[in-house]
Amino acid sequence: MAHILVVDDEFLLAMMLTDILEDEGYEVDTVSNGEAALAAVRKRRPDLVVTDFMMPMMTGLEFAEAVRADAALANLPIILVSGAQGNIARERPELFQAVFDKPYRNSAILKAIATYVATDTE
Amino acid sequence: MQQAHRLTSGIDGLDQILAGGFISGASYIIQGQPGAGKTILSNQIAFAHIAGGGRVLYVTLLSESHERLFQTMDPLAFFDRSQLGAAITYISVFQTLRDEGLDAVVKMLRKETKRQDATLLVFDGLLNARDRADTDFDVKTFVAEVQGQAAFVGCTVLFLTSSSVTDLNPEHTMVDGVIDLTDTLAGVRTVRELQVRKSRGSRALGGLHKFEISDEGITVYPRIESLPARVEASVRVESKLSIGVPGLDAMLGGGLPEGSITLLAGPSGSGKTTLGIHFLSQASDAEPALHFGFFETPDRLRTKAAALGIRLADQEGRVLTIERMPLADNILDKLAHKLLDQVRSLGIKRLFIDGFGGFERAAVHRPRLIEFFACLMDQLRAEGVTTLATWEIRELVGSDVAAPAREISAILDNMILLRLFEEDNQLIRSVSIQKMRDSHFDTSVHAVDFAPNGLMLGGALSARQVPPHPQR
Repeated sequence: MAHILVVDDEFLLAMMLTDILEDEGYEVDTVSNGEAALAAVRKRRPDLVVTDFMMPMMTGLEFAEAVRADAALANLPIILVSGAQGNIARERPELFQAVFDKPYRNSAILKAIATYVATDTE
Repeated sequence: MQQAHRLTSGIDGLDQILAGGFISGASYIIQGQPGAGKTILSNQIAFAHIAGGGRVLYVTLLSESHERLFQTMDPLAFFDRSQLGAAITYISVFQTLRDEGLDAVVKMLRKETKRQDATLLVFDGLLNARDRADTDFDVKTFVAEVQGQAAFVGCTVLFLTSSSVTDLNPEHTMVDGVIDLTDTLAGVRTVRELQVRKSRGSRALGGLHKFEISDEGITVYPRIESLPARVEASVRVESKLSIGVPGLDAMLGGGLPEGSITLLAGPSGSGKTTLGIHFLSQASDAEPALHFGFFETPDRLRTKAAALGIRLADQEGRVLTIERMPLADNILDKLAHKLLDQVRSLGIKRLFIDGFGGFERAAVHRPRLIEFFACLMDQLRAEGVTTLATWEIRELVGSDVAAPAREISAILDNMILLRLFEEDNQLIRSVSIQKMRDSHFDTSVHAVDFAPNGLMLGGALSARQVPPHPQR
């Protein structure tokens, strides 16, 4: 059972994504900012991270940069979801496996997660 | 005395009400029921602040998703998506509040305000914070701490809350100001009003002020009666403006005294609009005219003038402006501000208002009308514009014409009365001067006839013909 970390300061959105992921059979943890996410992935590495962009303490972009800079975590798959900064994220393809704009279609994000999670566990 | 540095709201009417805007580094509560306009107001202030070089941190607890908020604001003129995540950051601290409590939220706000270099902090959800607090003391402490650390770095704070107006909330004592937004039903229409309930360190304009929400965002119309009094423009006592009908000028002792306000009262069909058109026809580059009416469209007015044989200035150009406000759900103060803005910006010297009834119909709170008209008159007098305003009297044909409301007559400078009555199965129109402040006038009643070039003064009507003057 693959393990996914969901990172979003907006509680309701994190809960909704957690629900649909758990329905698909994933194990899900959530944290509410980039700094907590960095600590979480260092403590227990997930199979994939889905993160928001605009968050307190550390943005989704800063989190991804920190992950890529860390040799031990560098190839951790990260998917970004954003309301307003999708384009900024797309300018950094080395940071994210995929970028989704909010609102996203659940089927689309599930498909992307399945793709990149599968890649990692090979 | 040192003037406080201001954070302007970017909304003219609101800055006027706040005597210049918010005080930088101070804290305010914006309260109102859901739908009252708090979110739009705070975002509009935020984006105005950004436009002036400021940076904003917008903090929510448990509310609609940020993306939904952005979609709601997309149609509003002030909203600029490119600023999101740049000069303005939206974050939620709900998880922190839930898992770690108020203290942790205070700490996070301090860190994040510093990280973003924010000069304006909007905290949406004070009510939620109160739910989490164990006591009133905790909320006061929360507000005090957030307020204190924000002030320390020169950051202005807006706390948004849905708490009821009548609640005595402990946090109200901590902040520097409280703004109340309401959205109520008056008869069958909705009325949006704003009140500054507390304003520490600044003399705000009191009472209820109307506002509306449109694609421009929020527009605020300060209550006319609350505006500071102005000095009447000085005009030469002998200076008179022609009303456009020669015999009538003579009756008026030379014409309408410059800067004065004249009520033109009469039943429907008595010739009020026609006389107004005569007044407007005397406009020139030196004396630009404005028709501010509720009935005739510009086209219909011009058609009527043409049919009467009276020449009006062309469509293009500044000599004559015809403004028509439809009789719909009007906001009384909006009408007044529109009128005054046009008078000022166009340098109007001749103003024809057709008629006061249009303002009267817009009043949601009728008891304020006397003071409203008095203050509107004062504002017009300060501009030195000569005003002719119509007032429709109920009785169509008859001898005993009820004068307009006593109190309004007292406010106005001059009054001209037009009457219709029957004699020998013929309809006779008459004109008489009821009152003139500071000027001699002809007290007799004259017939008024329609001639090829408009109205023409006829002979004086004898006592036998004329019904008794109405009571003053």
